[in-house]
Amino acid sequence: MNQFLSAYPFFSFIVLLCLNSPSNLGATLSDEKKGNSEIYSLLKSLASSDNDLIEKTVLKLAKTGDPRLEEFFELYRQGSVYNWPTDSGDIRIVVSEETIMDDDFNEFAILSEPLSGEPFMVDGLQAKPDLLDLEDISPGRKLRSLVNSSKFLIRLFSPDYETRISGVKKCGDPPYLFEARDSLDEISNDPLEAEKIRWTANESIALIEFGKKSVDYNGLELRIEALNKLSSLNSLRALARIDSFTKEIKDLEESGNININQSETLTQKALAVKKSLESHKSSVELSGNLFRGISYGSVLILIALGLAITFGLMGVINMAHGELVMIGAYATYEVQMYFGHAPDNPVNEYYLFALPVAFFASASVGLLMEKFVIRHLYNRPLESLLATWGVSLLLIQLVRLRYGDNIGVNSPTWARGGYEISQDVVLPFARLYLLALSAACVGFVYFIIRKTRKGMLIRATMQNRDMASSLGVRTRNVDRFTFALGSGIAGVAGYGWTIVGGVTPDMGTKLFIVDSFLVVVAGGVGELAGVLCSGLGIGVITKLIEPLDFGGFIIGPVWGKVILLALIVAFIQYRPAGLFSPKGRLADKK
Amino acid sequence: MKKNKFKLALSVLMGLALSWSQLHAVKIGVLHSLSGTMAISETSLKDVVMMAVKEINDSGGVLGEKIEAVVVDPASDWPLFAEKAKQLITEDKVAVTFGCWTSVSRKSCLPVFEENNALLFYPVQYEGEEQSLNVFYTAASPNQQLVPAAEYMANEMGCKKFYLLGTDYVFPRTANKVLKAYLKAQGVPDENVMEEYTPFHHQDYQTIVSKVKDFAASGDACILSTINGDSNVPFYKEFANQGLTSDDCPIMAFSVSEDELRAMDVPPLVGHLAAWNYFQSVKSSGNAAFVKSFKKFCVESGLPGGAKRVTCDPIEAAYFGVYVWKAAVEKCGSFDVDKVRKAVYGLEFDAPGGKKKMHPTNQHTLKPVYIGEILKSGQFKIVYASDGLVSPDSYSSYLWPDGNFPKPTGGPNGDGSL
Repeated sequence: MNQFLSAYPFFSFIVLLCLNSPSNLGATLSDEKKGNSEIYSLLKSLASSDNDLIEKTVLKLAKTGDPRLEEFFELYRQGSVYNWPTDSGDIRIVVSEETIMDDDFNEFAILSEPLSGEPFMVDGLQAKPDLLDLEDISPGRKLRSLVNSSKFLIRLFSPDYETRISGVKKCGDPPYLFEARDSLDEISNDPLEAEKIRWTANESIALIEFGKKSVDYNGLELRIEALNKLSSLNSLRALARIDSFTKEIKDLEESGNININQSETLTQKALAVKKSLESHKSSVELSGNLFRGISYGSVLILIALGLAITFGLMGVINMAHGELVMIGAYATYEVQMYFGHAPDNPVNEYYLFALPVAFFASASVGLLMEKFVIRHLYNRPLESLLATWGVSLLLIQLVRLRYGDNIGVNSPTWARGGYEISQDVVLPFARLYLLALSAACVGFVYFIIRKTRKGMLIRATMQNRDMASSLGVRTRNVDRFTFALGSGIAGVAGYGWTIVGGVTPDMGTKLFIVDSFLVVVAGGVGELAGVLCSGLGIGVITKLIEPLDFGGFIIGPVWGKVILLALIVAFIQYRPAGLFSPKGRLADKK
Repeated sequence: MKKNKFKLALSVLMGLALSWSQLHAVKIGVLHSLSGTMAISETSLKDVVMMAVKEINDSGGVLGEKIEAVVVDPASDWPLFAEKAKQLITEDKVAVTFGCWTSVSRKSCLPVFEENNALLFYPVQYEGEEQSLNVFYTAASPNQQLVPAAEYMANEMGCKKFYLLGTDYVFPRTANKVLKAYLKAQGVPDENVMEEYTPFHHQDYQTIVSKVKDFAASGDACILSTINGDSNVPFYKEFANQGLTSDDCPIMAFSVSEDELRAMDVPPLVGHLAAWNYFQSVKSSGNAAFVKSFKKFCVESGLPGGAKRVTCDPIEAAYFGVYVWKAAVEKCGSFDVDKVRKAVYGLEFDAPGGKKKMHPTNQHTLKPVYIGEILKSGQFKIVYASDGLVSPDSYSSYLWPDGNFPKPTGGPNGDGSL
């Protein structure tokens, strides 16, 4: 890093200046007030029609490093910031994120303060002017990209580790903010800074250097230098930019700016880096694919687990299994509506309450199904297949009549985004949650079946109904309980599904029923461990073959599915009873 | 009336019962799926056609006669579209039919309309490569949606790499053919164009999104998405969850409208784009009133969603289709299909989104092209509007570079001649 600083003595001078200003900001009350009024007066320029002025203003605002501005920039970028001119025509910058509609469908905007986010008051009352009175000052595309990168500039000054590192990282992506260079240098040289942040700052600086436009050999040499640095950092972000770099070299050679020899050496150097980065990438990718496979598998296990109980244990071919999942999803939606959770008004607790509600909603539907339909059809698989298919159509249409086809299910806000374990391997929180949920459900079912008295009765009844009955087990009750348990677990699957997928009335038939049967049958009917292994197996295999690339022919999801089904068919030929087949007397019964 | 009346759906029975009481009612057919896969999209179109019918009847009908909609449900079952179309034409003797969404449903009932020389108004943007004298296409042909959108991404947003992502069926495949031909003509090298398809109802986009992430790490890539139906929700969710935003890689969608956004978590999608010929946010004299009366209609008719319902491009196209037919009937003073067809050619009219015009020969509609960016409210901010109306190509000049387009089909003589 010192080499950069010595190369740019002027920059390092500015760095010192820059660093001083944010740390002083907000040091004393009067300073804060002064900062506030300065920010407010800057904000007014946003209503200008002069784009250059707005650009300068945005940068000035960003350099104040005021953390409240990030939220404001986000609102500004999304077009929620308006100018609400006073009667005398003065500029008033306000934020409006929601509107209310009266009976005549007129819309009124509820205003809030740009910095604090508190309600915007006029004469002690919440201001809600007609939407038409607000002047839209949302930025255009070019400006928005600047606002976005400036947001990352603000983050460089954040006291919060996560925020700061994301700022440091994004500053190395195009369009490069050269204003950020100085601060990045400073961060990378700060001995008190966390190691990871300094590393990322180094990477971003090298990326900025590497991304500079150059027209002659010396310029390209400097970029190669930056590239070598990136190579030693194992930077995957550099990898995607190498191809366009070699192309640029070729273009410069063709236009005569560099000669063939120079072009050759440069290209070779770049390709050497590319090779070393690619080998690093393939190891990273393998772990990424494995995680994606496990996560996909966990979803499969979750949706198949209920069926493993109703079909696997009880032998009921339940075609309405997918609809039980769907009911769980709609129950989650109902809870969300009850709590009033919406993107602009997050009430994340709803998701906690939705879990038991979804379970019991589907369990009670399952109970009713058992009582009115399935009870009469035990040991008549074909009839139960048709009857449950009918029930599924009935449930779909009932839900469609009540909700229509299009509802907005909003995930809890924590389910957005992800955790980056290593470069470019992001584990989305939603997926991690499903993984945990799936594990918890398997644990729960295992506990009930294996460790409780109820579970013992279930096993006894399913193994030999007559014997259990003659020993005093109320097999009717056991049936009812088991079916409800399976249905309830299906409901939990629907609940979990809402954070990764969409919710429609016919989601059960279209998305779940085939996959669930696939998992249960491949795993071996009647075995919980079978579901676990086949779910994970199918998930991992799918995710490992999907990205395969045979000289331009990418397998992708369409062929991936075909290959997977062929594999399963072959597997079933080889082991008709699935992975875990029942043994001994049990095998005879089935 | 007839023996096979018993076959008719309940809705048709009610329609017939009503028609006896109103001897002077002219019947029109509504052929949209109200159940099955496509119900999510098509129900809204049925709703808006019913609204247009109500408005027209309230203001005195067509040529002094009330119109009466015969609604049938082809249930997203493509062969059933042909059957229901036949029923509408031969048994209910409808003067005109409004319907279909997917191309495969249109292709399925097209022979029925051509055989009986009946009229269909088709309100959804499609892949082109068709021109039947028995269909009026009131939504976009490829050059009114796909090409301007790709042009915008390349020129305005400076994208150099394009990821063509679609659902595996006829519209995305043909659309991507047109797009690839266009990009090639613009000098985009082959290695900068990726093409990938997913099956219908695909839900697990983890692998694709991680591929997109690699593809877009250079910072100058975009996605041109023809993903259709319920796959959009998991796709956009996964995209946001893996930490990608519209700044890393903007998605230009051809099948995501305000109506689809109702089912999504919008805040992480802000800044992604869509190309249409109409947005609810279009500022025109008629649009505010149209949006209001649609919401009102949904509330008063007790439709799911109520005042939260939104208008979108196909809804507008379905709505003004009814008015185009009305204007043509009034222009020629007859309900006769051949006369109406001639009257439609070159017709100018006021749609909610502004003035539009029917093409004088090729059955399509001259429309403006808009590109919108998703706002937090689930609406679109219009960032590009074409200079006036764009003339439709029934056959893409990128796929037929020599200009020898196939002849039209159907018509009064059944051979594409008028």
